[in-house]
Amino acid sequence: MAERPEDLNLPNAVITRIIKEALPDGVNVSKEARRAISQAASVFVLYATSCANNFAMKAKRKTLNAGDVLAAMEEMEFERFLEPLREALEGETLKILSAFKDILINEQARLSGRIEEKSENVKSAASGCISVVLKTAELSAELIKLGAG
Amino acid sequence: MAATVTTSLVTATEHDPDRCESEEETRGAEAEDSGQQQQTGPVTVSHSRLSKLPLARIKALMKTDPDVALASQESVFIIAKATELFVEMIAKDALVYAQQGKRKTLQRKDLDNAIEAIDEFAFLEGTLD
Repeated sequence: MAERPEDLNLPNAVITRIIKEALPDGVNVSKEARRAISQAASVFVLYATSCANNFAMKAKRKTLNAGDVLAAMEEMEFERFLEPLREALEGETLKILSAFKDILINEQARLSGRIEEKSENVKSAASGCISVVLKTAELSAELIKLGAG
Repeated sequence: MAATVTTSLVTATEHDPDRCESEEETRGAEAEDSGQQQQTGPVTVSHSRLSKLPLARIKALMKTDPDVALASQESVFIIAKATELFVEMIAKDALVYAQQGKRKTLQRKDLDNAIEAIDEFAFLEGTLD
């Protein structure tokens, strides 16, 4: 049931693509080098996880969070990763909020159609609720951009 | 915080083929290679690059550690992204040795040289086949 680390390699195609994008055109990578990098990447995941988990355990938390991983990067002397990681985290959260807003806007449109026959009070209440949530999403996005998150 | 938003919204956007929380990665790397554009709807936030490593696989790797109880979605994402940065870094550092050897093909020995020479890669010593 539990998978062993050896069984869990990262997909070759993805590893290859990351390597190719990192290196200049015209550079090739031997199969053995690619395999070794893929293996190293798996070891990296395990090492980073273990390190991050230590921070979580020290804080008496059962759930590993992003902060633990960032602390682990520093511990592992990969400070150069911190800035791009923080940006990626911010981008991902903004993307999710953006998708959230889209869902809300769609819901708003759908509700407007369905409650046409209902009273104005119901319509404006529903609309009002959605506006509040939309505004919250916008403000959250602003806060995240300001780095206050 | 953002973590709660993340969890509740991942289920909402399950239809998105690029959300790797489900077992998407069982479709294989072929799906990732088909050049599908990433769209979550009319509004997309553009930033440099999304993590391409399958989050389900990363999470499974993390869980092989017996001391790890739970990992937030964010933490899995961040580890995936960090791993991507690591692959870039080690490839570039190994390239230096290939170039020293006047080669245009990165070989296993270039990796070994990089691991031996660079402090940050010390954790890899003795771990590769």
